[in-house]
Amino acid sequence: MNNQRFRTVDLTMGAVFVVLMMIGANLAYWVPALKITYAGGEVPLTLQTFFAILAGILLGRKLGAFSMIVYLAVGAVGVPVFAEMSAGIANLAMPTGGFLISFVFVAYISGLIIEKASNNSLATYSFAVFGGLIVNYLIGTPYLYFSMNNVLGVPISMYGSMLTMLPFFIKDAVITGLLAATLPSFVTRIQRVSPSLRSQ
Amino acid sequence: MNQSFIIGQYVPKESPVHALDARTKLVIVFFYVLVTFSAETLSSYLILFLFAAFGAVMSRVHPLFIVKGLRPIWFIIILTFILHLFIQRQGEVLFSIFGYAIYDQAVIQAAIISSRLFLLILMTSLLTLTTTPISITDAVETLLKPLKSIKLPIHELALMMSISLRFIPTLIEETDKISKAQASRGIDFRTGKWRDRLKAIFALLIPLFISAFKRAEDLAMAMEARGYRGDYGRTKFRELKFTSLDLIVFLLFIIIVIGFFYFNG
Repeated sequence: MNNQRFRTVDLTMGAVFVVLMMIGANLAYWVPALKITYAGGEVPLTLQTFFAILAGILLGRKLGAFSMIVYLAVGAVGVPVFAEMSAGIANLAMPTGGFLISFVFVAYISGLIIEKASNNSLATYSFAVFGGLIVNYLIGTPYLYFSMNNVLGVPISMYGSMLTMLPFFIKDAVITGLLAATLPSFVTRIQRVSPSLRSQ
Repeated sequence: MNQSFIIGQYVPKESPVHALDARTKLVIVFFYVLVTFSAETLSSYLILFLFAAFGAVMSRVHPLFIVKGLRPIWFIIILTFILHLFIQRQGEVLFSIFGYAIYDQAVIQAAIISSRLFLLILMTSLLTLTTTPISITDAVETLLKPLKSIKLPIHELALMMSISLRFIPTLIEETDKISKAQASRGIDFRTGKWRDRLKAIFALLIPLFISAFKRAEDLAMAMEARGYRGDYGRTKFRELKFTSLDLIVFLLFIIIVIGFFYFNG
């Protein structure tokens, strides 16, 4: 019964994806081109959201979401897997923690869209990617509002928190849109060489 | 850099706090966090602080490590403190900065919220400073065991956590190698137009994903060849031990909580 839910290879694939997620969150370390100059300082871009979407696309909705839960758990026990090599439960309680928590749902939704789609066209991938991105903000922004008011005790309106996140949303939409365009060839190339992914 | 990933924030030392069972520490930190959110009076905060400080001293972890662990959060604590000073408009005017009045209630409120944050982070980082990620994983698995009866994949969660801990150094090394290999073939990871930057990212990601999934498939094969079939009939290499020290710490914590609610009114 219980063992039938995930095959052994699902468990190892999901576990390895947690590490890929960690690398995606800190990719600017290897690819300095990802650092953008903004307001006088260098801001490293993270591909976390994109990787969470990939988890859903490559691993399927169930395993993708589950591996995101494992990612959060590994970060919570103190291994620096979150963006900028940070770790700890505190990251989840802080205002931006909702974006981390939302990855579970992001992977699920993106995976669901891919699984339900009849073909693997660019349109399907774009739909999956933007579906994921919207879920990311749909959970992250109210959480920011909640955390500001209840954890930090700083009163902020829902409208205010939406306004704060707007520039980030535009930034993410541009990056994810660019990456989505390359997805069809990316996914087929990965699936061709990893036979256990295809049977999802 | 690789070494720091395997052990996370863990600082190896021989101390009573390190010797505690990971389950004990996990349960205490969990209830400590809950209790901290209900703290209202100054003396109740003092009790909580004394307990955390006692733990920090007993852990023999160098204070610098603790400060380092708090580093990403300092900014938020200070920002919260300042915001509260200006937001609260109740009580008597204490003094004013540039014609902007600061109220005494504001100072109290700001101090309460930021010390709450401070305590939460101090206590949770004390857990990760004195316990290896792998034993926290084991503790999570045993504590959540009852949830297996409602078919939550607790064993799978713990297993995947340990596998990913094992793979972190390997895949970081792999990423290093691939990025160097691709750079030697002429891929520019530093500058270029957006189109080229995008290409550079995928020149790194495609080999990385393929090699990572290959490793995962090999591992699954090796596990099945050795007879892995879920947690059915599985025994543990590392056993968690509940000792008399754990009992003493639990009793101490219960006394602290009773004292806390007595002073919290």
